[in-house]
Amino acid sequence: MGIENLAEKAQILIRSRLCSPNFIFKPLSDSSDSNYSKLKFIISSSIMEACNNSILLLGPRGSGKVAVLELVLSDLLEEYPDTITVIRLNGLLHSEDNSALKEIARQLCMEHHLLFSKMASFDDNSQFMIAMLRECGLAHKTVIFTLDEFDLFAQGKQRLLYSLLDAMQTVTSQAVVVGVSCRLDADQLLEKRVRSRFSHRKLLFLPPSKEDVQRLLEHILSLPMDSSLACDYAAEFNEKLQSILADKRFKEIISNYLNSNSTTNHLLRFLFIAISNMELKSGFLSLENFKAALSSIQRHPKQECIKDCSILELYILVCMKRLEVREQNSYNFSSVMKEYKSVHDSFPTSDYYAQNVCLRAFEHLLQRELICFTDNRGHSQSIEFRQVKLVVSYAELQEGLKSPFF
Amino acid sequence: MASKKKAAKTDKMSGKKRVYYKKVVYDGGEFEVGDDVYVKRREDANSDDEIPELEECRVCFKAGKAVMVECDDCLGGFHLKCLKPPLKVVPEGDWICGFCEARKLGREVQLPRPPPGKKLARTLRDKLLSSDLWAAHIESIWKEADDSYWFRGQWYTIPEETSAGRQPHNLRRELYQTNDFADIEMESIIRHCYVMNPKEYAKAHDEGDDIFMCEYEYDIQWHSFKRLADIDNGDEEGDDSDIDEDWKSSKDAESDTDEDVEYEEEKVKNLQSRASSAHELAANSRKGKFFGLQKIGTKRIPEHVRCHKQTELEKAKAALVLAKLPKSLPCRNKEMEEISAFVKGAICDNQCLGRCLYIHGVPGTGKTMSVLAVMRNLKSEVDAGSIRPYCFVDVNGLKLASPENIYRVIYEALTGHRVSWKKALHLLNERFSEGKRNGKEDDRPCILLIDELDLLVTRNQSVLYNILDWPTKPHSKLIVIGIANTMDLPEKLLPRISSRIDAFEKQAIEFASRKVAAISGDARRALEICRRAAEIADYHIKKLSSNHNPAPEGKGLVGMSAVEAAIHEMFQAPHIQVMRSCSKLSKIFLAAMVYELYKTGMAETSFEKLAMTVSCICTSNAEAFPGWDILLKVGCMLGESRIILCEPGARHSLQKLQLNFPSDDVSFALKDSKEIPWLAKYL
Repeated sequence: MGIENLAEKAQILIRSRLCSPNFIFKPLSDSSDSNYSKLKFIISSSIMEACNNSILLLGPRGSGKVAVLELVLSDLLEEYPDTITVIRLNGLLHSEDNSALKEIARQLCMEHHLLFSKMASFDDNSQFMIAMLRECGLAHKTVIFTLDEFDLFAQGKQRLLYSLLDAMQTVTSQAVVVGVSCRLDADQLLEKRVRSRFSHRKLLFLPPSKEDVQRLLEHILSLPMDSSLACDYAAEFNEKLQSILADKRFKEIISNYLNSNSTTNHLLRFLFIAISNMELKSGFLSLENFKAALSSIQRHPKQECIKDCSILELYILVCMKRLEVREQNSYNFSSVMKEYKSVHDSFPTSDYYAQNVCLRAFEHLLQRELICFTDNRGHSQSIEFRQVKLVVSYAELQEGLKSPFF
Repeated sequence: MASKKKAAKTDKMSGKKRVYYKKVVYDGGEFEVGDDVYVKRREDANSDDEIPELEECRVCFKAGKAVMVECDDCLGGFHLKCLKPPLKVVPEGDWICGFCEARKLGREVQLPRPPPGKKLARTLRDKLLSSDLWAAHIESIWKEADDSYWFRGQWYTIPEETSAGRQPHNLRRELYQTNDFADIEMESIIRHCYVMNPKEYAKAHDEGDDIFMCEYEYDIQWHSFKRLADIDNGDEEGDDSDIDEDWKSSKDAESDTDEDVEYEEEKVKNLQSRASSAHELAANSRKGKFFGLQKIGTKRIPEHVRCHKQTELEKAKAALVLAKLPKSLPCRNKEMEEISAFVKGAICDNQCLGRCLYIHGVPGTGKTMSVLAVMRNLKSEVDAGSIRPYCFVDVNGLKLASPENIYRVIYEALTGHRVSWKKALHLLNERFSEGKRNGKEDDRPCILLIDELDLLVTRNQSVLYNILDWPTKPHSKLIVIGIANTMDLPEKLLPRISSRIDAFEKQAIEFASRKVAAISGDARRALEICRRAAEIADYHIKKLSSNHNPAPEGKGLVGMSAVEAAIHEMFQAPHIQVMRSCSKLSKIFLAAMVYELYKTGMAETSFEKLAMTVSCICTSNAEAFPGWDILLKVGCMLGESRIILCEPGARHSLQKLQLNFPSDDVSFALKDSKEIPWLAKYL
């Protein structure tokens, strides 16, 4: 087996690891203060002791809330087969109460092999849900509702949350409501009646610490010694990896990258690019791979946009900037054209463009969102007369103008 | 067959029709609807065998009157004096005979043989548990046209005959109720047996040999188990069971036509169920009932629910569940008295004028619960006959799809018909304001309980107006009780909580209830805090015992620390923790916002100004400025978790930003950050 072949296998293995949350979050779940074991304890105690509960999982995006929840659910499904029904709802899809209840009824019907009717009304569905909760409670079955993007359920009159939480405290059922949200004030959004019925258990998911990141990197990137991969290759791969991980420059790259956002998901995205950059010929990871990944992932879209502008477009941007510096806060295309003319008069060059050409350039700038209209009114007016504003700041514009052309 | 009927029935029914009875004396035994009986399995089953009323001792093989003790494993009976060593009294708790104990240890056991010429007589219980007999629950009894007596029975089954077989947690005397019915001749009844629910079974001591325990229903079609529903509220109904009895026997005196109707209804039901098996009906579209719910049962009863020995903490947690309504509401006696006086006054009034009552208070102070408790008490009084019957309609404003739907719901609750809300409004108007009634049923006073009344407010307030206007009409006989919440701070949560639990330290409860009373006065919250505290304590104990040796017993009390942790979790916003652990740039971003706030004195700032500040801060502290676009992303991340409030990121440098928390919180969180010590300068 050639080295390229081995390297390809290693690459596939690591990439598949990066894509499976189970692999990433398993090693972090052992200790007793981990969210995994806390969450598992709460849910399994409501299975064992037949009680209702509601929990909120809070934390910034990409910190592994849903991943840990899914991990817990899959473990529990294995531990207690046939007794758990998981109903999954997402605030982006079901924030409207009617459709959410319909979806709950549909999933309950699916799980228990019942016939579902699309025609059922809100009342029917909510009473069906309560009847199902009671029956499931009698049959020692637990229903777990996971509400992703929980904050979006807390809009409007919150009928869904009210009927769910109210059912849970009137009916002898065993149900768990797990809300997942990136808004830290998600429980403050609840209406007072709903909040009173909510159990107020909160689990906070935080980005990993420096030590955790180091452990995670080692855990993900090192190859197993006892797999189909050749043993000596894996040993050599791990050795090189260790030297990279210990390298000061590598640490700089990682900390530079995590400076902006230190969540797990963010790190994984970076590693995926780095692994994809791995050279199959040499067969090992190198520091260059990580450098390339960093430069390809840390882009500055607005800056690059300015650099790509044509000369006329830059002229227009500069003119607008001059107008704004003169505290002329409301201006439109015509006033920009006037300014363009005066600039051209004082610094005459060979190319002076006609108004319709400038208008086309102006439209390009609008499409690229380097400039924008000040208000949404006046759609009927033609573009020339609507008020505009610069979206990019002066500093960015200055930075953009430093490109090698000028 | 000497048979006589107890209920006085007229002869005119002896034509073609069946005659139904509540109670029949047949073959010397008195059988009533609701009894459980042994039923012969085969016609030729050697019924001539004399059936021993009393069980024989396994050692001396005499029945005798001496006290016997029963082995919990093999169910064999033993005279106290026949045991080795003899016992003086029947032991408390479980007792296992010497033979079974020896068998468990793996020894060969020689059971004492009966004296020659005497067979070991088997009792009916033995026969039932070895499936030589059946047991059934009598649903109805009737006399056929040919003067033979029949009954409709619901079969019981023994664990061995279910698909799951006998499971290790099954008790010896356990039966399952099935959903299988059959019409059986009274001829095949042997005698009574007694099937009890677990609570009664646990209390039963001396009821004899024919008692069995039944907790689950077994579905013969789907081979699944389900707990019997009435067990849960069994203890509540237990109190007024004798009142029920009165009601039943008084029903005997009613006319026969009544029972004929019943029979017709049954027929219709049968037709319906047949139809449902032909075309499967959708489960969630409710035309009177939900279809297919019987499919839900478990295939096996999980072991943990049966042989789970609860610790003190787990008991406390179970008692604190919100679904458990407490038996008494310690601090609501006065209110409950007022409510019941109001309702009684309204009903018992001869003219029965309509009245309204409005109850208000913050959520979780027991408004709905008090009213429901009052209504329960009143219902038992109605059953006892001291108050005239009334009808009770319970509506929750938040569960209605729209405020107008309340008419439909009320009308459906009153009459059972479903109509559109406009039609329902019309009919209700007719009934309440014009006093048009069609039938004596309608003549009862009606109590309407509307929970979350404030949600019925529409733009022109017509719904609320109608509902509150009806009671003022002379013939309405309508009593409206509205519940809503406004600012009204109750106290005295303490007695209510401690009435539920005993696994808490005294100060811990006081701490929790004081804390809640100070903030919101919500009893649900206080209960939740206690439950969470118990959960935390339980969690720590379980983790400890899984890591090390089992924790010392008796230390299972919930202390102050657990309650504090629970309160912290409930009331503390987690933003400080998030700010502490967020990325370096986010910290600089937040610090710059605070700096900007101090400098300008304005809460709101734009991204452009902020970015300039950040770049100043970075350059003066030898930190690389990350660029505008990355900074924008950082800002949007903070906006997502609502640490700051911001406009969408598409506005770029025009984006407006504002801190969502006091700047002191930010300073507190970031002041002693080890990563960037210079940050403290700007806070």
